[in-house]
Amino acid sequence: MTTASLPAPAPRRAPGFFEALAPGGRRMLFLLAMVAVCLLFAFPVLWLGLTSLRPGYAVFYVHRGTDFTLENFHEVLGQQVVLKAMWNSFAISTLATILSLGVTVTSGYMLSRFKGPIPNTWFSLIYVFRCVPYVSWVLPLYFVTRALGIFDTYWGLLLPHVAVHVCFFSWIMKGFFDGIDPSMEYAAMIDGCSRWGAFWRVAMPAAIPGLTALAILCWLYTWNEFLFALILTAHETPILTVVMAQFVHELGMEWHLMSATAVLSLGPALLVTVFGQKYVIRGLKV
Amino acid sequence: MSSPTATRRPFLGLDEKKRFMLALIAPAVFALVFFQIVPIFTGANASFRDWALHDPKRTWVGLKNYLYVLRDPEFLFVVLPNTFGFMAASVGCSLGLGLALALLLNRKFRGRWLVQTVILLPLMVAPVIAAIMIRWMFNDQFGIVNVVLDLFGLAPVAWLTQRWTAFLAILITDVWLWTPWFTLLLLAGLQSLPPEPFEAAQIDAATPWRVFRHITLPMLRPVMVVCIVIRSIDAFRTFDIVWTISGGGPARATEVFSIYAYVEAFQFLNFGRGSAAAVIGAFIIVFFAMGLYRILNRWVEVSK
Repeated sequence: MTTASLPAPAPRRAPGFFEALAPGGRRMLFLLAMVAVCLLFAFPVLWLGLTSLRPGYAVFYVHRGTDFTLENFHEVLGQQVVLKAMWNSFAISTLATILSLGVTVTSGYMLSRFKGPIPNTWFSLIYVFRCVPYVSWVLPLYFVTRALGIFDTYWGLLLPHVAVHVCFFSWIMKGFFDGIDPSMEYAAMIDGCSRWGAFWRVAMPAAIPGLTALAILCWLYTWNEFLFALILTAHETPILTVVMAQFVHELGMEWHLMSATAVLSLGPALLVTVFGQKYVIRGLKV
Repeated sequence: MSSPTATRRPFLGLDEKKRFMLALIAPAVFALVFFQIVPIFTGANASFRDWALHDPKRTWVGLKNYLYVLRDPEFLFVVLPNTFGFMAASVGCSLGLGLALALLLNRKFRGRWLVQTVILLPLMVAPVIAAIMIRWMFNDQFGIVNVVLDLFGLAPVAWLTQRWTAFLAILITDVWLWTPWFTLLLLAGLQSLPPEPFEAAQIDAATPWRVFRHITLPMLRPVMVVCIVIRSIDAFRTFDIVWTISGGGPARATEVFSIYAYVEAFQFLNFGRGSAAAVIGAFIIVFFAMGLYRILNRWVEVSK
């Protein structure tokens, strides 16, 4: 180690056994821990990427050999069902984001700005229904959407998704509006603005950063969602996550194609991680 | 807020403010009622009927389905222990690791943004994809995990064909997926703590461990409580990673509650029985969540 030349961190206490043994060793240890953390969290994704670049004959020995190819991506993108599933996932995620945010922004505003029996009832309802396991209502939703004639269509997946988001997002939206000082809205109302005007022209613009964060997360949640897509869609509306899971069960051996599909579907997640980081971190804070 | 327009005529006996409140939540209520509450009641109705392929009349059978599920040894001795064991192990591990990471990241150092970007990654990855990656890495013949074991001279393990190793793979996936979430929330909590107690501790020359134990931990408790409650509820209903990694197998040994209900309804095509299981699970988790919230809340108040 060349740590001898590094300045030791200013000692606040008498140097312990460890510092006496290796000056600067704590920093080294810290650095090593950080590298290990990065490796642990990035490795599965890197491994998947590597697998997706291997030709079919070499995929079982990913760690050996240096044949790399883009043929897997080409083959996957040639499959009609994958293309269709990508488009469907994209459309559903986008529509669900717009609808969910539209529905929950007013609900969160109401929870944040008012007190009394109505907000209290609504809040407890949201809390209870947030706890109900998805499987308890997605099984009967299968029959409800069939009865409504929207099973295996966009609407049949979209509306349940909005219902999924109602509870959680109202809660987060309430947090966003709690962080915005309501005095501006009172001022606007004294100046003759209606309640709707105060909400729309004063509170909404202030909530835009929070809304952006939530929009990104909502889009990704829907893009990544599996259970609802599995039960509420069939051949007419294939969804990407379901198509991938079927790859595992039906063509269990074609790991190179599966990885390529998975890498393609990771695209948006990677983009968001790199470019939308600050928004996402804001949105995740409960 | 005082009502500025008292001149409008009342609607259903509600004043202007109440009407505004109801209008704000109306769309959300609509979505919640039609696509969550109505299905829940449909499911509850189905759970009292013989709603299966062989009985198109859907005969009312009372509590038969409930009794079946509550007497099913698979449900009692495999599914419930799996579900709660998974919940405890997953929340415990991710909380511990998340807290450790948050403490490490709660300082300024070069390359911090890189670490933060990397740990954000699992939060963006679809659970299905994470499960696929783990399944591939833990493949018994070609998986990298067995290759590494081989390097160290250890015998390969058939990870996904034995109950506990398959369970371990599922648990690792879940911890990988959710540790970053704990880290981010706890890091935000750490950064919002007031500096005065830490300065006082420094003047008193307290050891780092005692600072952590007596200052950081108690002040972080409110954040931790929220994290634990939310994550426990979500861990209870885990479906996608279990389904993709083991499918509940081998021989239904890693089934958790959501898988059980799904398998009963859509593979054994006994919809009444699946619904009964789903209703039982819903009751368990709602009461569990309320109890957990109360216990942890009391714990926070005592620590103040």
